[in-house]
Formats: sequence, C-alpha cells, structure tokens
Amino acid sequence: MPEKYVRDKTELKGLSRGRWKESEELEVSVIKGKSRWAQDEDDSAASIAQRKREKEEQRRAKEDRLRQADAQQVHPSTPVDAPGANGDVARPSKRLRTHVDTHRPGDGHATEPQLLPFPARRFAACRDVDEYERLNEIEEGSYGLVSRAREKATGSVVALKKLKMDHANDGFPVTGLREIQTLMASRHAHIVRLREVVTGSTWKDIYLVMDFLEHDLKTLLEDMAEPFLPSEIKTLMLQIVSATQHLHSHWILHRDLKTSNLLMNNRGEIKLADFGMARYTSQPPPPKLTQLVVTLWYRSPELLLGTDTYGAEIDIWSLGCIFGELLTRDPMFQGKNEVDQLSRIFALLGPPTRENWPDFRSLPNAKALHPLLSSSSASKPQPQLNFPYLTTSGHRLLSSMLSLNPSSRPPHPRSWPTRTSQRRPRPKPKEFFPTFPSKAGQERRRRRETPNAPLRGEKVKLLGVEDFARESFGAGGGILAGREEAEERGSR
Amino acid sequence: MAPITEVEHLTNPLVTVEQLYSLQDDDRNHAENGQSVRYAQAVLTQAAGILLRLPQDVVATSLVLLQRFWVENLGQGHATADLKIASEASIYLSAKLSFTPVSPRSVCNVYAYLLSTSSSLPFIGCPPPSAATPPGPQSYYVSEGSYEREREKILLCESLILSSIGFDVHVALPHTLALTYVQALGVSSRKLVKRVLEHLNGGLLSPQLLYLTHQPNALAVAAIYLAAKEVGVKLVDGNWWEVFDVEREDLGFLVLAFGSFVGFAAAEKERWENEREKLRELLSGGG
Repeated sequence: MPEKYVRDKTELKGLSRGRWKESEELEVSVIKGKSRWAQDEDDSAASIAQRKREKEEQRRAKEDRLRQADAQQVHPSTPVDAPGANGDVARPSKRLRTHVDTHRPGDGHATEPQLLPFPARRFAACRDVDEYERLNEIEEGSYGLVSRAREKATGSVVALKKLKMDHANDGFPVTGLREIQTLMASRHAHIVRLREVVTGSTWKDIYLVMDFLEHDLKTLLEDMAEPFLPSEIKTLMLQIVSATQHLHSHWILHRDLKTSNLLMNNRGEIKLADFGMARYTSQPPPPKLTQLVVTLWYRSPELLLGTDTYGAEIDIWSLGCIFGELLTRDPMFQGKNEVDQLSRIFALLGPPTRENWPDFRSLPNAKALHPLLSSSSASKPQPQLNFPYLTTSGHRLLSSMLSLNPSSRPPHPRSWPTRTSQRRPRPKPKEFFPTFPSKAGQERRRRRETPNAPLRGEKVKLLGVEDFARESFGAGGGILAGREEAEERGSR
Repeated sequence: MAPITEVEHLTNPLVTVEQLYSLQDDDRNHAENGQSVRYAQAVLTQAAGILLRLPQDVVATSLVLLQRFWVENLGQGHATADLKIASEASIYLSAKLSFTPVSPRSVCNVYAYLLSTSSSLPFIGCPPPSAATPPGPQSYYVSEGSYEREREKILLCESLILSSIGFDVHVALPHTLALTYVQALGVSSRKLVKRVLEHLNGGLLSPQLLYLTHQPNALAVAAIYLAAKEVGVKLVDGNWWEVFDVEREDLGFLVLAFGSFVGFAAAEKERWENEREKLRELLSGGG
C-alpha cells in the first residue's frame, strides 16, 4: 500500500513538472513570435526527454524505496525482493558505474546519497614539550608531577602532567598507556580534556597536556568556611555522575574516584581527572583484575575483602563516599589501613549479613571476618546514616550507593539526573556558583595527610585473622571491639 | 555530543595525502622495494601473533600501529627502524594494551624461531628439500645476553612507536562491523563470513595501507561485496552500501584492492623464495 502511494506521488510530481516545462516552452515560443507547430521536431524531442525524465523519477523512487526497506529491515529472514538481478557480474566496478550513471543526468543532487560524515582525524608525531612554558608546580600526585604551563604559540594556560616511568623493565608503563588511552576516548563536558601528549628530551619524558582548572574539590572543601549548600551539592553530584556514567557506558572503569581527583573551575563546573588507574573492562569482567585500586578511603568493601572480579560498582561506592564528603566536608571513612577501613565501614553501615550480601563469605579475605561477624550482626541494630540537611530521597540514594553488596548499588543511575533535578531543592545553576581564590594558580597549598592511590605492583596483602587481632579498635571500630580478646586467644 | 563520540569510537585516524607522498618518496630513496619489505614484515608480525597465541584483534591492532609508525616515522626522514624490532615492539605494545599481555621474553623467542632456518614461515625457513634433516632447536636458541640486548631495543622502539603516532593507539577494526552488516543484509552463512574475514585479514597485510586510508565501515562493506561475489551469495539489489555510509568510489577501490591482494601475495612469495637469505638478513636487522 505505501509503495503504491509513493509511486503515485512521484508520478504526479513528474507529471506536474513536465507540464510546467511544457507551458514554459509554450510561453517561450510565443514570446519568440514563432508558430508553435513550426518547431515540431524540437517539440517531439522535448517530449521524449520529458518522458525519459518521468521514467527516471520512477526508477529513483523505486531505489529510494529499496534503500528504505534495507535500512528498516530488522529481521534478516525477510529479504527485499527486487527485479533486475546483478548477481552475475564479473567486473563489479565498471558495471556499477554505468548502472548508476543512467540514473543521474541533469539534476544529480536528488540522488546524492546522504552519507554519514565521519570526523576527520589524523595521526602525527608528538610535539616537543618546549612548545610550552612552565609556570609553577601544582602538585605531585601518585602518578606524576603536575605543573601549570602556558602554550607559547597561543598563550593558553594548561596543566602539564609528567608521567612517571617507574617500571622501565616492562617498557612504557601500562598504567600511563591506559591513562592516555582512556582519556583520549572520553570526551565529555565533565571530564578533563587531554589536548595532546608531548615528549621531552629523552623517551622517558612524556607529558600530558590537559585543560587547567583552578581548584580541586578536596582543597576547596578543606578551605571553605561552610560546606556547599544542598542545591550546590546537587549540581556537583549531577556533574560527577554524568561523567562516571559516560565512562561506564564506554567500558571504562576509573578506579580512583576521590575528591582530590575532581577538579573545579570558577564557573561551577566539575571535571573528572587523573585516569592513572583507569582501564577498559568487559562483560563479563576480565579475570584477575588487581584489587589494589582506589585510594583507601574510597575503596569499596569487596575490594578490601580481596575480590579480583569487579565492575562499575566500585566506582559507585566511591561516588557515595564523595557524596557524603560533600555533605560534611570530611571524608566518610578515614581508615588507617585496610582492616581499619573495613571496621569503620561496618561501624557506620552495619556488618554484612547473609541477607544483604549473600556471597560475601566467598571473598578471599572474608575468612578473617568470619568469627567476628557471626554473632555481632544479630545482636546489634542496623545503624543509620544521618545527615541533617539531606532529604529522604537523598538519604535513600546515598545508602543505596553505599550498599555493602556491590550488586545492590545502583548500576547506572540513568534516570536519576532527570528525576532528582525536579525535586526540591532544585540544583543550583552553575553560573550562580560562588568563586574561590585559586590555590593551584600560585599559592602553595596547605596539605592534610591523605593516603595516596595504591601503587601498581605493590604486594597484595592477604588479610588474616591476626591483622584483626592486632588492630586495636577504638571508638571507630565499635562493633568489632568486643570480639578482640576472643580473637587474640583464638590466634594463639 | 554523545552520538559524535560513538561514531569516533568506530573510526580511525586516517593518513593524509602529504604523509602518503613522503612515504612514496622514502620508498624511492631505498634500493629495496618498500612495499615488498613492508609486506614481509607484516607477514612476520601476523605469524608471530599466531605463535604467541594472541587473539586476531590484538594482531590486527599491532599491524595497524606498525603501519602508522611506518608512515609517520619513515615519512619524516627519521632513522630507519629495525624491521624485526619494530614488529616485535608493535606486537608487544598491542598485547600490553589488550586483555592478553605477553612478556618480552616470549616475543624474543618467537621471533628468533620465525627468523631461523627452521622457521615455519614458507619463505623464510629452509626450502622443503633439506627438510629431511631439519635443523635443530639450537638454530633459534636465545642466549640470556642477546635477550637482554634485544629487550632493551624492543622497549626503546615501543616508546618510539608511541611518540611517532602521537599516542593514538585506538584502532577500530572492521571485523565485528562486517558481521553485523552481513546479518543486517540477511545473508549470514559460515561460508560467506569466512571469506569476508579472510579478505579483512588479507587487507591488513596489504602494502596499500588500506586500514589507514579507509574507515572500518568501508573495509567491511567492500569485503562483504567481494566475498558475496566469490561465494555466489546474492545480495539485495540497489546501492545497499550507501546504507552503511560507503561511497561507490571507495567501494570500487577497496574491492579491487582486496581482490588483487591474492595475486600480489603469490608474486611476493615467489620472489622471496628465491632470496630467503637476503630476506632473513633484511628482517633480522641488517638494514
């Protein structure tokens, strides 16, 4: 039915166009003052051309139909049947040329296929670091030295990060490679842009040129007189979540989300940075991933318990920690080591149970917890997160992000941004954000001692019962404190 | 924003006209036929990838990286990199980036074997007549000292490759696209798909640098077109390649390139079979 309709329509179109031509010619001949019948031959030629044109129209319409059918064809078992087989062609290119050429005399524009334009990219050797003039050092992260620099040609200010080349035995460090690879692949409004990679005098001097941002969220939180307003936190979290969502949908795990890796400019925009731990993942996740990822305070319980297959959930846990930190200005779980970290998490969120995390006991380090948890979980009531300025839905979101069980964390809170921005308090437009004096610009920053991201190749420590026994749990490790004595006796 | 990045993920950085010209100039300046040498190096890399038990996508990535390196490094008139070392470095690098890394030692061992007289490569190993007394494993033994030296070279070349290609190690391959296209065309069969993949893998070795001149979708479409003709599968009528955003011109060029590769490979094989010693020397770092 629709085919018929299309044909009729094009026929009509062709006819009307033909008629218009005819009348035009008529007019021309009248103007020229000659008899219409005197130009008989010309006229017949014109009508033949006109008929030809109509035929072309039809053929073109047919082709269009085919193409549409081709594009819409979802089910492979319904092949498009069309007359005029060209299956037995020996020289495809030549035959094709004539085949299509007959279709486009005159107005070729109508048949011009609408092809998707691909972004034109090229590859070229790295430029030299001398193209940039170094201004001042910003900080030494666990993966390299960052300094502020100005591009000599354009005068634009950038951040220059020198890659650390520690593991020269394996050649170019794979972490650095992954950092460049993942940063290049993630173009997003809230991910710091990698402009280019430049080289220094030796092959060990590799610099990443990135956009310069005035602040990092951690220093900002430390220096602020008062924490961000709920509306501001909402804007910030929406930006952070959109960035991580982008990463996860492109199969990238960041594996080191923390406030010091979130940069902020004076226009209320957050940009995610430091991909030193990032890597590509797959479904199912690649086996034997390193468990030594994510800075201790932001590390999820399953990593602390030694899992080596994990996915985006570990980033979601870190997001939860960041959310909590934005609310109070203090990192939520400031553990001194792995064991202390776990006990602080359990103190705030309650220990894992068979109900909320059925398979946590199969994790490598869970044996150490076994005797501690079997009785304490039953007696103690589940503690509740308590943030006075947070709405109920905010509480719900935070506690779901901080679920002990990785599979109960929201995987891709896709619908969250739209839903949450409609609720009160509304997110504050980023243009209305307060500005702050830039620390990274000139001043040396006041630094509080915070743990660094784990180093690649560091020895993986298997937590044992003794570790728990040795640890003296203070007020932070309240749940486990009672078991300490019994543990010590048991280990002897 | 989002749709553009999605497309970017399926595309490769392409070679520019200037780069191709300078590669051509470089070829003229050398006594040895550059195309021939590049082809031999590509075959060596592919064989090493198989012996290292790397998935084909890793091998394909290393071949494309190697081509990018050739274009950028030779075109700029830099020192000619050692053929074997460059091949080793590219395969080591792409394996490192994948889920299946390999150690430099395995790489050294495999290349030592492939370039020895007992190589299984048809035009490097000794000709069949002498196979009655096959050379022993000592012909491809790698001593600790030579391993150390070679590793240093590989790692240095790895950095050279990386900086030459501007650290753009993203390689989009046409293989999965081709499978999707075949299914969309409703002609999915084992025979056809096998031929399509053969063409795509052959194109990787082609000295025409097809993977640098055309985007993966064009490669996939051309391979399907040619394979369908060869296998005798009838595809839909009409300009179906336009649905996959390929121009007729590109399709024609690529179909010819894929189709002519068989003849080229046969000629090269014949040529090098008469000059085994020379090729072995050339690849092992004589030049």
